[in-house]
Amino acid sequence: MATIVLTPARQENLVSRIAALVPGLLLLIAVGFAGKFIEQFIATYTKAHQITFPNIEYVLWAIVIGLVIANTVGIPRVFQAGVATYEFWLKAGIVLLGSRFLLGDVLHLGGISLMLVAIAITLSLTFMHILGRVFRLKPKLTSLLAVGSSICGVSAIIAAKPSIDADDEDASYAIAAILALGAISLFTFPLIGHSLHLGDKAYGLWAGLAVDNTAEATAAGALYSNAAGQVTVLAKTTRNALIGFIVLGYALYWSSRGQAHAVGNKAAFLWNKFPKFVLGFLLISLLATLGFFAKPQLASLANLSRWAFLLTFAGVGLRTNLRVLVKQGWRPFAVGAIGEVFIALLTLGLVYGADRYLHL
Amino acid sequence: MPNATSMSRPALSLDAYAVALALTLAFLVRLNLLPPVKW
Repeated sequence: MATIVLTPARQENLVSRIAALVPGLLLLIAVGFAGKFIEQFIATYTKAHQITFPNIEYVLWAIVIGLVIANTVGIPRVFQAGVATYEFWLKAGIVLLGSRFLLGDVLHLGGISLMLVAIAITLSLTFMHILGRVFRLKPKLTSLLAVGSSICGVSAIIAAKPSIDADDEDASYAIAAILALGAISLFTFPLIGHSLHLGDKAYGLWAGLAVDNTAEATAAGALYSNAAGQVTVLAKTTRNALIGFIVLGYALYWSSRGQAHAVGNKAAFLWNKFPKFVLGFLLISLLATLGFFAKPQLASLANLSRWAFLLTFAGVGLRTNLRVLVKQGWRPFAVGAIGEVFIALLTLGLVYGADRYLHL
Repeated sequence: MPNATSMSRPALSLDAYAVALALTLAFLVRLNLLPPVKW
């Protein structure tokens, strides 16, 4: 068995790397707490003064505070490493949320999600490629936009970029377009869901199938309701699980045209691209199903998950720089936007159908 | 192209650390080593 020996130099390196995360982490906590405090303050104040005021969730406050900071004073360099940990908290939160689902629910809702995801991905990839041709985008940029908008946003683009030998500029354009569209979806989806009077499960499934980035999808779900947020995470996790297959398909396509390196071991490729937090989610769900946790313990795990998501929502606002998003070319954004509207309508139709015939 | 060093020592992904943290917390809760977590 191998033994890991930490030399003083490596220990110092590890300590300094962890220390570098502290300022940004404290900023995430401060913004998250501020969002929670504002929600509670408004609720208490309006109740005490008998004022009718809609409950605005901490999710929205945390994101808006983050957006204001990031786009006015900016995020100083010392905070950036810690702020970037929001994705880590997102994934830890998703794994912990597995405790809220019995494995039967996961298989039922996950199975429906998987079926809808397969239909939506097939149609949306085809549509994005047609759009890319119409707008005369570079084919690899179109591939990246298609992967980003049909699977899981930025992570999918990052996973696909080296596999299809796309250049940095294409990846930057695609990421900027997906981030801009994610920010728009975050605010529009709950409004559309409420205006259509969608139930928690139907809305949660729709947001999980249509919003690209996992962080934005989780926030869009939580903005609607806690129950909708949980279904969103499940649907989004199902979608994320397919990332390896889609990226493998693109890698094989571009290598067959001599424009990307060949794929060696396909099973290893799939495992490498597979999001491992999905396995953690399933494991915790299995343990919960087997009665491993008592009821109060399940409540604690769900609350831990909400705390982790609070840091995520703060990070979503803090990392969204509107100036950078505006600077991108209009064509990738237009292709992404038209594609997103198509995917949103398509998945909404699928969810309506599933709700009616498969009884969500 | 990945070099020999990176092939032989793949870095642990963010996912692996996140799963490790979540499982650790879950077991601490299960063993009542963490106080009840409130929201």
